[in-house]
Amino acid sequence: MGGNGNGNSPCASCKLLRRRCAKDCIFAPYFPSDDPQKFAIVHKVFGASNIGKMLQEIPVHQRADAVSSLAYEATARVRDPVYGCVGAISYLQSQVSQLQMQLALAHAEILSIQMQQENPAQGFTDSGDENASEYLNCGNLHAECLSFPSPSSMVDSQFS
Amino acid sequence: MSSSATGTSRCAACRNQRRRCPTDCIFSPHFPSTDPERFDAVHRIYGASKVAKMLEEIPPEMRGPAANALHFEAKCRIRDPVYGCVGIISTLNEEIRDTGTELAKLRARVAFLASGAQERQLGQDYTIVDDHWTEQQQIGNVVL
Repeated sequence: MGGNGNGNSPCASCKLLRRRCAKDCIFAPYFPSDDPQKFAIVHKVFGASNIGKMLQEIPVHQRADAVSSLAYEATARVRDPVYGCVGAISYLQSQVSQLQMQLALAHAEILSIQMQQENPAQGFTDSGDENASEYLNCGNLHAECLSFPSPSSMVDSQFS
Repeated sequence: MSSSATGTSRCAACRNQRRRCPTDCIFSPHFPSTDPERFDAVHRIYGASKVAKMLEEIPPEMRGPAANALHFEAKCRIRDPVYGCVGIISTLNEEIRDTGTELAKLRARVAFLASGAQERQLGQDYTIVDDHWTEQQQIGNVVL
């Protein structure tokens, strides 16, 4: 997959670092010479020695996944130098909140329809609407929940 | 929060690096000496020079949020050396997919109820058990 140590094709990391690619180069399996951009971006964000240290502390069978996630984080950081992956997490959390709110609304709508069907003569009754609104309130769908957390507030609360 | 040039109160970064903390130290506003763990985490994952370079490339007013985000990602990586904060992204994507599926089912149910369809005309009875639809050969009222 990657470069090898016999001098014919150094891996992307050794090529960038301008050094001999050893047979047991820790980077070679994960940074092939045909994808120089991958190592360039992780090196820009994390640094080669930090990558090497991290890989050494990880079991061999998990290193490929680790490299993929490091490349993902580095790409996110280059695209968004301020928030990096945290920006993506914040966005996804807001998506989850929106979906959960829509889920609660759908539940409330079902409840409302069922109550109408049970009491067709009354049509839209106050008790039906009250039960539906009570469901919404029980789901804590208050106004403040509709304001999605900013990346900053999410980071501040995450490890407090 | 910031340190003075006299060296009596260095920021966490300069303390870690065992150097004098200048008045214009780029780390001191964001890595106070009162929270050494914060700089230890980013130093462990990114290294001091990389962090400094990243902060220098960001407008000063955005360096605080950037330092917070770097700390968050570093902590995630320390907790989960394989996936880091990408693990959180995967979990959220799964949650979005599952919630979306559940929402689609509920909306279909809403459409079904709203249309007032009569299951007895189909000769089948749809019973919902724990959000799963199952068919039963039963003539009678719809059980919801």
